[in-house]
Amino acid sequence: MKGNNKVRKQSMWRLAATLLALTLIAAACSPEDAGGTTTSAGETSTTEGETSTTVGETTTTAGEPMVCEATVGFIGPVTGPVAFIGGVQLNWFNYALDTWNEEMGYDFQMVEGDNQFDVAQSATLAQQFLDNSAMVASVGPAGSDQVDAAGAVFEAGDPNFTFISPSSTRSGITAKYTGMFRTVPTDDDQGPTTAAFLVEQGAQNVFMVDDQSSYSVGLADTTQEQLEAANVTVTRESVAQTVTDFSALVGTISDDTDFVYLPWQVAANGQIFANQMAEQSKDAVIFGSDGMDATEFSEPGSYLAAFAPDIAAIEGSVSILEGYLEQYDDTNTFGPPTYAAARVIFEAIDRVCQAGEVPDRANVQAEVRNTDQAETILGSPISFNEDGDLVEGQFFIFQIQEDGTKTLVP
Amino acid sequence: MEFFLQQTVNGLTLGSVYALLALGYSMVYGVLKFLNFAHGEVYMFGAFAGYGVLTVLGGPTGLMIPVWLAVTLMFVGAMVVSSGVGVTLERFAYRPLRNASRLAPLISAIGASFFLQAAALLLFSANSRSYSAPTLIPIETGLTIGPINVWAVRVLVIVTAVVLMILLTWWVRSSRAGKAVRAVSFDTEAAAMMGIDVDRVIVVTFLIGSALAGVGGVMVGLVFGRIFHFMGFIAGLKAFTAAVVGGIGSIPGAMLGGLLIGFAEAYTTAYISSTFQNLIVFGLLIAFLLIRPSGILGRPELVKV
Repeated sequence: MKGNNKVRKQSMWRLAATLLALTLIAAACSPEDAGGTTTSAGETSTTEGETSTTVGETTTTAGEPMVCEATVGFIGPVTGPVAFIGGVQLNWFNYALDTWNEEMGYDFQMVEGDNQFDVAQSATLAQQFLDNSAMVASVGPAGSDQVDAAGAVFEAGDPNFTFISPSSTRSGITAKYTGMFRTVPTDDDQGPTTAAFLVEQGAQNVFMVDDQSSYSVGLADTTQEQLEAANVTVTRESVAQTVTDFSALVGTISDDTDFVYLPWQVAANGQIFANQMAEQSKDAVIFGSDGMDATEFSEPGSYLAAFAPDIAAIEGSVSILEGYLEQYDDTNTFGPPTYAAARVIFEAIDRVCQAGEVPDRANVQAEVRNTDQAETILGSPISFNEDGDLVEGQFFIFQIQEDGTKTLVP
Repeated sequence: MEFFLQQTVNGLTLGSVYALLALGYSMVYGVLKFLNFAHGEVYMFGAFAGYGVLTVLGGPTGLMIPVWLAVTLMFVGAMVVSSGVGVTLERFAYRPLRNASRLAPLISAIGASFFLQAAALLLFSANSRSYSAPTLIPIETGLTIGPINVWAVRVLVIVTAVVLMILLTWWVRSSRAGKAVRAVSFDTEAAAMMGIDVDRVIVVTFLIGSALAGVGGVMVGLVFGRIFHFMGFIAGLKAFTAAVVGGIGSIPGAMLGGLLIGFAEAYTTAYISSTFQNLIVFGLLIAFLLIRPSGILGRPELVKV
């Protein structure tokens, strides 16, 4: 018995020693940055102790191609409960990167960070990105809570680090973080637009359901405030995004309800809600927020708010959309603002290079602030105010027709 | 009255799905005395299998066969796939740990749950799928019960669940295999000594429990429309709650618990607020664990001292 124990102990020690050795070897062989590719040209761009973010050189000799290199990050919920948002955002980011590099003959690199829509993970990724001295800016995170988590890290670590959210709409958040910008209008734009429309349509009773995401709750709060100020009675409810049975909730909609407002991120849930309303003969008209602007929601007669005209109907954006769909199967409303955000960063870096400088966080941020794009995929110009919000952000209202198409409501 | 009736139908529909899921939890616990936390993911795979069958048959818009046949094949396809997933889980994630401490298979089940979610994400992508059942079976079709109209799909779900539960109860009570399952759940060692192939009984238990979960997945797809890779997580937790409330290890208890949870959700939303739905459901779980841990129809476990 004793002998067996001794043999077992020795085996355990050998195993532990082997595992430790393997761990050390793996650690020694792992790359220094957050896991993606960094700059090319064979140079290691980060070493301990370096404070510079030198990533490449530009040449100014006439006739020679300019070398402009940079690393840009992406933070989004690529996996997890809202992977349908992050997956599309990542696809559009990669599409923007590939087309940019091809168009300009550059070799910008990207580093992907999957935050799984988790606040703690967002903060961790933000720190990783900061520690990667090759990285000059990033796109994301998607949700406002995640932006807060990452933003706090960026602000404390390096306020010069630029991050552009393609989907955070919470009012006032950009004012908190020096390096934050966004390519979508805010709840301050969408809420009043929605409320004004509903009041104009003669709404007396509105049934409102948020999906417990920070986007939805913020938007619902703003819209509710505006509606109640106009003496509209609002009944407010709340369901999780993972719920797919709304029949009990639908049953509580009173017969005198004029509109059902759904500021939701999951368009498919909106369609289920609409189906269950039809099941129970509820006549109220659904008004969905921009998160519902997807093919999965196609209830005839319903209204949708959108932060851009339908990009498929924008002459300059059709080819971009077609090119995207050749490579990727799906898109949704979260995609084009991501493309726009990426292009803002890429063009800012290019302006730095054109000026004969080497891109670093400070000069890239300065150029992002100077962004003045007249034509964008979103169909409206992009420039930022002092807080980092769009100067010309606005929302449009569409009505869904019988054939599933959307028409702009003037 | 109309409002109450409507909410009762809503609760009955949801409860039927939870009952089918809870049966799987109860059966496995009854035989192995452990909680298969990956059961929700088995149900999710069943939902996707049903969707796959629907798509292959040209649905929902261009169905090549009658609707009743398509739905039957969807159920069959879901049962086959879910059973396969369940049996594979048992063979590779649980059987090797059968003689380990009680915590080991539980941890393995949790790991298996996340593994299956991630696998589904890779296989099916993050986009949800829609059965678009109103295209197959118009919302106007159904039964009229007093002042309310009950959609035919809801009637189908409730009837199918009841029939399956009756069949399962009959099988467990009357068939040879069912007796073997009861014997193993009562005393594994004694059953083995009586010549019962315990491994085979366990496989059959997982097969049937998983098949029922697969049916539940298709039902959810038909009634509620949207299926996605993460749908099994909360459904699994609620089905587990249903199994505990009804009496873990008891088949009639699982059915009763499922219906109770379904009604609790519906009536909470109807008479209090939807925000309190999960609070009340999981509050019931805690209450039963404190007051009557064996559940409504479960038997207190006797321990020899």
